[in-house]
Amino acid sequence: MKFHGKILLVDDEAHVRKFVGLITRTLGNPTLVEASNGKDALEIYKRESPDLVLLDVNMPILDGIGTLRELKKIDPDAVVIMLTSLANRQTVEESLELGASNYIRKDTPKDEIAQRLRETIEAIFGTEETPEKAT
Amino acid sequence: MCPSDDNRVNALSGRKILIVDDDRLNIRILSGILRGEGYVLADVDSGERALEIYPQFQPDLVLLDVVMSGINGFDTCRSLKACYGEDTAPIIFITAKTKSDDVVEGLRAGGVDYLSKPFRANEAVARIRTHLSNRLLGEEQKMLVDQLSRANAAKNRFLGMAAHDLRNPLASIRGLAEFLQDSMLGTLNAEQLDLVKMIQVTSHQMLDLVNELLDVATIESGELKIHAEPTSLTSLVEKSIYLMNMEGAKKQTKLVLMPPPHLPSLALDPAKIRQVLDNLLSNAVKYSPPGSAISIELSEGENRVSVAVRDQGPGIPEGERDKLFKDFGRLSVRPTGGEKSTGLGLAICRNIVEAHKGTIVAENLPQGGCEFRVNLPITA
Repeated sequence: MKFHGKILLVDDEAHVRKFVGLITRTLGNPTLVEASNGKDALEIYKRESPDLVLLDVNMPILDGIGTLRELKKIDPDAVVIMLTSLANRQTVEESLELGASNYIRKDTPKDEIAQRLRETIEAIFGTEETPEKAT
Repeated sequence: MCPSDDNRVNALSGRKILIVDDDRLNIRILSGILRGEGYVLADVDSGERALEIYPQFQPDLVLLDVVMSGINGFDTCRSLKACYGEDTAPIIFITAKTKSDDVVEGLRAGGVDYLSKPFRANEAVARIRTHLSNRLLGEEQKMLVDQLSRANAAKNRFLGMAAHDLRNPLASIRGLAEFLQDSMLGTLNAEQLDLVKMIQVTSHQMLDLVNELLDVATIESGELKIHAEPTSLTSLVEKSIYLMNMEGAKKQTKLVLMPPPHLPSLALDPAKIRQVLDNLLSNAVKYSPPGSAISIELSEGENRVSVAVRDQGPGIPEGERDKLFKDFGRLSVRPTGGEKSTGLGLAICRNIVEAHKGTIVAENLPQGGCEFRVNLPITA
């Protein structure tokens, strides 16, 4: 599977955006847009219509759960994968109920994160190569 | 060294004594005896009045006449005990009878001592001082315990916060170092690669340490929660062995699973039990000399399933066995390949296993090495 879609990566920590951003490059040739809080993420989502959102849970201004709730109002079909630092069952369950497709623990080694991303993307977009987005 | 009498009297001055007696003369005599000790005195003439005034006056000690019209001293004492329990002020009975039966009944009713009439001033003062001192010591002890539990809770909160805030940056450092080792971002020369590997390994070890600290903070604050679901212990063990064999390969250590019997599915928290298994297996690798064989055996006993891990390490030193499952209980034996150990792993294992109502035990084997055995109940 090669993924060439547009990914919105939302995390307040620059090192996490760098790390997870590098991982997305192993999936194919995606276009990456970034936001460091939930409020900016909503603006960027409306403007850029990404295929996939990677969304941190703990963020200032608007946290991941709040952002997810708003995203689903803007676009009920938004594909969102939560980025968590702890296997926080309650938050994970809440986000899945709100329509997140999956969750990924940021403190796992990169190959495990990549594997999990790939599986989730295949489950949603199929195993065919996704076309590159015209930007 | 004992504190001087003067000090003790000073510490006790201002303590409150309630005198309960229907004989005015007795109250006068007792007040006279206690004058000069610095106590705050109050008196009432019946058991009923004593029960009424007790919550307002909040005495530190009660002198209680046994024979009174209305409810007698023993019943007054029982009522106070029923109302205020452990916190009731010490009660000393005033009695003309010194027959052993009466003394026993008074002590059974919850009294701590008795004063017999006619009063001997020195004896009365000394007995009252002793019981007031005991009460004061008890209060101080309770305060200290409260302070310590609050400090411990604060420490756990801090530990949890610090560990939590360290995790993400460490995970990123490890992850970014992993990327530098890849060819994806260009190739490094041998020395650069060596440095990057060191960063990756070190941050990985720190992440393990931080995770263990977080586990301990969680356990100590009573927040360890088990999410039990039907789980195949055999497959958890197989996965753990598979992973650990990759680690063990660096030391040519092999982990071998004895052919497992068919086991019933158990109600376990798979992630937590996996943590226990990973810990036991990684310990076995850590403490066994390179080239060892570690055997893992699953078995079913009466209402329980056991996992036994047998290593070829130096065993548990005699006299250090009780430290094994305690926090920071690192023993004098060292890992054989320079691996890190926080000493927290087995304490965490014990807590997880006990939260499943299971047990974890360790013993040295006659042929050398030791065996760690986890027993888990079938009807959890």
